[in-house]
Amino acid sequence: MNIIVCCKSVPGLVTDLKVGANGQSLQYQGQLLAINECDEYALEEALVLKKARGGHVTALTMGNIKSLDVLYYTLAKGADKAVRIDADSHDPRVASTTLATALKKLSFDLVLTGTQARDTLGGQVGIAAATQLGLPFAYAVVAVDPVDNKTIRVRKELGNGRYAEVELQLPALLCVQTGIQPLTFVPPARRIRARQQSVTSISLADLGLESGQLTPQGYRIAGVHPPKRTHQVELIQGSPQDIATALLNKIQENR
Amino acid sequence: MTQDTVVLVEHADGKIDSITLQLLAAGRKLAAALGGKVAALAIGHRLDGISAALQGFGMDKIFLVDDPAVAAAAGEAQAWVISQVARQLDPRIILVGYSLIGMELTPAIAVHLGMNALTNCVNLDIRDGAVIVTRPVFDNTQHTEIIVDANDAAVIALQKGAFAPIEPSSHVTPIESISIEVENIPARSRLMATSSEPAGAVDITKAEVVVSVGRGIGSEEKIAVIADLADALGGVLACSRPVVDVGWLPRERQVGASGKSVTPKVYIACGISGAIQHLTGMRESGRIIAINKDPNAPIFQVAHFGVVGDLFEIVPALTQAAKALRG
Repeated sequence: MNIIVCCKSVPGLVTDLKVGANGQSLQYQGQLLAINECDEYALEEALVLKKARGGHVTALTMGNIKSLDVLYYTLAKGADKAVRIDADSHDPRVASTTLATALKKLSFDLVLTGTQARDTLGGQVGIAAATQLGLPFAYAVVAVDPVDNKTIRVRKELGNGRYAEVELQLPALLCVQTGIQPLTFVPPARRIRARQQSVTSISLADLGLESGQLTPQGYRIAGVHPPKRTHQVELIQGSPQDIATALLNKIQENR
Repeated sequence: MTQDTVVLVEHADGKIDSITLQLLAAGRKLAAALGGKVAALAIGHRLDGISAALQGFGMDKIFLVDDPAVAAAAGEAQAWVISQVARQLDPRIILVGYSLIGMELTPAIAVHLGMNALTNCVNLDIRDGAVIVTRPVFDNTQHTEIIVDANDAAVIALQKGAFAPIEPSSHVTPIESISIEVENIPARSRLMATSSEPAGAVDITKAEVVVSVGRGIGSEEKIAVIADLADALGGVLACSRPVVDVGWLPRERQVGASGKSVTPKVYIACGISGAIQHLTGMRESGRIIAINKDPNAPIFQVAHFGVVGDLFEIVPALTQAAKALRG
């Protein structure tokens, strides 16, 4: 089973967050990029499926040259191949169109990705790409069970402790839930060795995407700010004993 | 395009999910401000109970797609059905719950209809015909305001708790059945069965005091520190998702969107940063106390009382104090 894992490169701490001049994106000073944690679970699941069923795993990301680090990390984890689309956008429509176009050029039975990215918290791109490609999909998948070469059965969360069993024809796209497999540790030596491997880079022109074909969503970002609190949290300070006494009072008076 | 709003009804086992009544409240607000109508749309099979339960909320219309083919539909087919109906109604806004079901459907509906999609929204307002939503970014530490202009349509997925549930109304809403060409429903994925998490040894939803532990605890052995506090307070031990993901506590203790929703009298969050999925499951608790070393942790957005500090200093002291009180 050949699997493509779509993984986003996301910044850790960001500073100087503001709305970009066009009102269509946020600008910030970012630190080093890391693999989006939800997508790392998708990679782990892909590697487990490969071990059981054979085939190869390709990591696919869209991002600037800084996102190479994330692809090297996926290679160190066990991906056979890594592909970077040399483009940068946080707009879900642009990102899903670009990914869908790239996926069309690659061969796969299954596409795996996470449920959402920690920076945009949108959770749109996987399902939107699947819909553009006409692939069946499932969201919040907690178990993947290949039935045969053409079918998989998945278990997915419905919320409130409920689950659905869904059968999908391949090729299909799954957004996997965190915890689907344990995250594995990558020894530093393997991470260093992975940097010797080559990463395929594709430009938007390679994908035949003219700038006019990549229209962002039709809304404007008007502002970005720390969340307004509906009520102000009362902070309790002092020695641990003082705090304990104060907290215990607050607990007892509400029981 | 009309100025109408369509609310997608979320239901399971013949019952309407509480998010739906919140969406109806948001829909009524939109309809009033935009001068449009608000309709509820339910898809599935044997929807009589659902439509009856929806009738007393003053909607302008309830649309039903009631067909056995839809009951077996998985996400792709559901989104296709909803989009077929939406094409006929041509609404400006489609409201969906930002639940695990809504998260699956929203992007697909938006692609089918060529509409904007705004997910994870915590607020919704209307100004001069423009619809303004607030949504979190960067691990819920920042909020953005997004404007959908007067001539643009959008699928908007609202978080649970963004709106209070709609008040009942004496106006009985007419019901209209919509038929779609079921033979054209995409059939590459099929719903085979649904199930519920088997009942575990503890039921965290019944406790008056819930002491919850997050990834901030650092390691499995240290969970005992939090368990001691739960014991001393006569409460139960619960946790956030990452603690279950790494296998430190069983799924039955998980609070949040994919775990259990709890509303105890007192909820104590220890080392929980406050991802949206977690807040969804506990924000209605009577009194929320958060202990976290990061003053910017989103948990403080919902906490009534907070301690910024080391939980390994605070929690043992609180445990001691609670034990002393009990004698």
